[in-house]
Amino acid sequence: MSKVTPPRAAFVDHPVGRTFGPPNERSRHEAILTTALSELPKFTSTGEIRDLGCQWLANGSRAWEADLRAEMLHNR
Amino acid sequence: MPFEYLPIMAQNSAPKPPRVLFTPSKSAWSPVTKLVSQSRVALLSSAALRLANQQPFSPREDLSYRRVPSDPNAGPIIIDHHSGIGTVPKQDPEIVFPRSALAALAEKRIVGALSPFHFSFMGGVRQHQEIENVLAPALAEELATMEVDLALLVPY
Repeated sequence: MSKVTPPRAAFVDHPVGRTFGPPNERSRHEAILTTALSELPKFTSTGEIRDLGCQWLANGSRAWEADLRAEMLHNR
Repeated sequence: MPFEYLPIMAQNSAPKPPRVLFTPSKSAWSPVTKLVSQSRVALLSSAALRLANQQPFSPREDLSYRRVPSDPNAGPIIIDHHSGIGTVPKQDPEIVFPRSALAALAEKRIVGALSPFHFSFMGGVRQHQEIENVLAPALAEELATMEVDLALLVPY
């Protein structure tokens, strides 16, 4: 993100293509969107990236990375 | 440590050369002048989204865009982007295009209003100058016409 200098960027540490959470979890989608919008007044300069502190799995596990890597390579 | 996407993307794009990260020539900074609760908000998506009755995107290097109604009841969303990560988002495009969530926030007055349309285009296009000189200004004009105060781009 820093390489393309968006004016303001929010980082969501989810698998790519699942920015707002798993399918059909509307309350989670809404919560992440609300958090992202609430960051808006905190930006002071262009290119700043604010980490929303989101985790894909509640326990913080990064087990999803292996699955995502396989998915990206399998479906290319 | 965030997931490293670029090595996989380079592997996926072979035999094409790896993507070159591009820095636009102009700063995109624009000051915030309104509270979110007073702002008209639009979504921008690089997932090549459209309604079923809109023209499909070309598989590659498509520089067009689609106006997608902000009303979640306007019809289901189709994802034309060719990315290998599309299997899950195609089950529920809301996870990359939170149209219903944004409408709910407007109902709750957390955002001021919805733009009548959101906008989508094809991400991953390599014609960087055309994006900066043609596509981006066209989208900016659309946003200005709709008096959008805040545009949220969800990359895909």
